[in-house]
Amino acid sequence: MILAIDTSTAACSVALFGANERLMAREQEVIGRGHAERLVPMIEKLLDGRQPDAILVGVGPGSFTGIRVGIAAAQGLAIGWNIPLDGMSSLALIAASAGEEPGARAAVVPGGHGELFVQEFDGPDLTQLGPHRSLAPEAAAEEIGAPLLLGPGAATLIAARGSGEAREGWPDAGCALDLPEDLRKLAPKPLYGRPPDAKPKAAV
Amino acid sequence: MAVILGLESSCDDSAAALVTSDRQILAQAVVGQADQHRPFGGVVPEIAARAHVEILPGLVRQVLRDAAIEIGEVDAIAATAGPGLVGGVMVGLLAGKGLSLATGKPLIAVNHLEGHALSPGLTDASLDFPYLLLLASGGHCQLLEVRGVGDYRRLATTIDDAAGEAFDKAAKQLGLGYPGGPAVEQLAGQGDPEAVPLPRPLVGSGEPHFSFAGLKSAVQRAVQSGKYRPADIAASFQAAVVDCFVDRTRIALRKSDAPSLVVAGGVAANASVREALETLAAEEGRAFSVPPGWLCTDNAAMIGWAGAQRLAAGWVDGLDVPARARWPLDEDAEKVRGAGVKA
Ligand SMILES: Nc1ncnc2c1ncn2[C@@H]1O[C@H](COP(=O)(O)OP(=O)(O)O)[C@@H](O)[C@H]1O
Repeated sequence: MILAIDTSTAACSVALFGANERLMAREQEVIGRGHAERLVPMIEKLLDGRQPDAILVGVGPGSFTGIRVGIAAAQGLAIGWNIPLDGMSSLALIAASAGEEPGARAAVVPGGHGELFVQEFDGPDLTQLGPHRSLAPEAAAEEIGAPLLLGPGAATLIAARGSGEAREGWPDAGCALDLPEDLRKLAPKPLYGRPPDAKPKAAV
Repeated sequence: MAVILGLESSCDDSAAALVTSDRQILAQAVVGQADQHRPFGGVVPEIAARAHVEILPGLVRQVLRDAAIEIGEVDAIAATAGPGLVGGVMVGLLAGKGLSLATGKPLIAVNHLEGHALSPGLTDASLDFPYLLLLASGGHCQLLEVRGVGDYRRLATTIDDAAGEAFDKAAKQLGLGYPGGPAVEQLAGQGDPEAVPLPRPLVGSGEPHFSFAGLKSAVQRAVQSGKYRPADIAASFQAAVVDCFVDRTRIALRKSDAPSLVVAGGVAANASVREALETLAAEEGRAFSVPPGWLCTDNAAMIGWAGAQRLAAGWVDGLDVPARARWPLDEDAEKVRGAGVKA
């Protein structure tokens, strides 16, 4: 059994896969904040006493805090069960929400300082068409040509670009095994996509 | 005997430890992040949180290896749940929740201040409740009556800076870099504590509160005047802090019939502070206890030890327990004007 977790956005999403990669159970709530309180009880409910033998955790890009919540919990679970832990791309999970549709699609997530995390993928097999980037909406409008925009930042990018179709779409842990191998064999470490805001807590 | 895994990530030290309910420290590891924060002259919350999530899992594996213990042999997981930089707190707390769910062992959400407050008992088996505690760390400066596990009465707090913060700011003004406490102490050893006239804020006032902001400004003026040797400024600053501690703690002792005085928190690592408070305790007819230096600064052994005592009292937490930026030990303490979040 594989446990999949993603907390990189306002959604808190967990799923359990069984033999033949079959989706056995899935829980998803769009909660905004509060992943630190909700996530582990959600996993407990999802598992209902079952013990997975591997974990996949969304590593971002997305909310810095959210990503760390998911990864820290996954690290604790992996040590506690003594099972392997891998990272998966949270933007690819969003892109996966368009399912079997062909053609280019982009995952768009609000980042810091009014920027958007963006990445384009092709069609149902989710080949990466470029790297993930953090761009201002105007710059993203120039760079992102995919007609279909998915994710919690999609509407912002459509407004800046003036064309295409926006669909909300959250990273869904239930899509974890739709990701190509290279996007779900990442190091289980945050993919922040932006440097930290280096402002000391208390300036003298 | 219970074995507790302690996790700490509330400021700029990542730490894990395995301690037992009968005071054995089976293994412990602390990784400080001073090098990463030094360029900014203080702790940067996002940098701290990033470091914790990189470092902490390795430390958990390390202490299990060092103690030759399987995770399944651990009886409870104790993780700091606040107060502190909440992004970092979440890292240790969520790792603790994951470990708790996977092992089926209880989670104990520890107040970091309770870790400091109970830390003397880990190495001093003769220390009994109640005791009067001077808790002086990077984020706090309080006088508390520790009546038992989970039973704290705050007698006083700082109305502006914490004591460790005062050391850190003085160090910065003296060009000593971050973290400042140990550097100021070292330089003070070569100086004359009477060379620079510095104020002792609130000394003599009836309530035993603390204030260090005026001292900070006076140090700044002394540095800018160019009249004094840095070592003399450091020594005079340290002497002023010690005088404040002694005067304030004496007032608190006279308001409390606790038989022992204890000093804990990072600033308690300072030898002048320890000596002066030991003398004060003797003058006031109280026993004195101070944890060893490594147990004064942030560590996970004290979190595990606090967890052991909470477990013994039957206090465990749910997997939905929140991380808290602010979490006073004495929730009923009166608000002190100016004390703000540091109370
Ligand atoms: N030898 C010392 N003399 C004075 N202050 C010290 C000494 N060693 C550490 N400190 C101070 O203690 C603080 C760190 O204590 P710690 O208990 O780790 O703080 P916190 O729990 O608030 O993060 C820092 O402000 C540091 O400058």
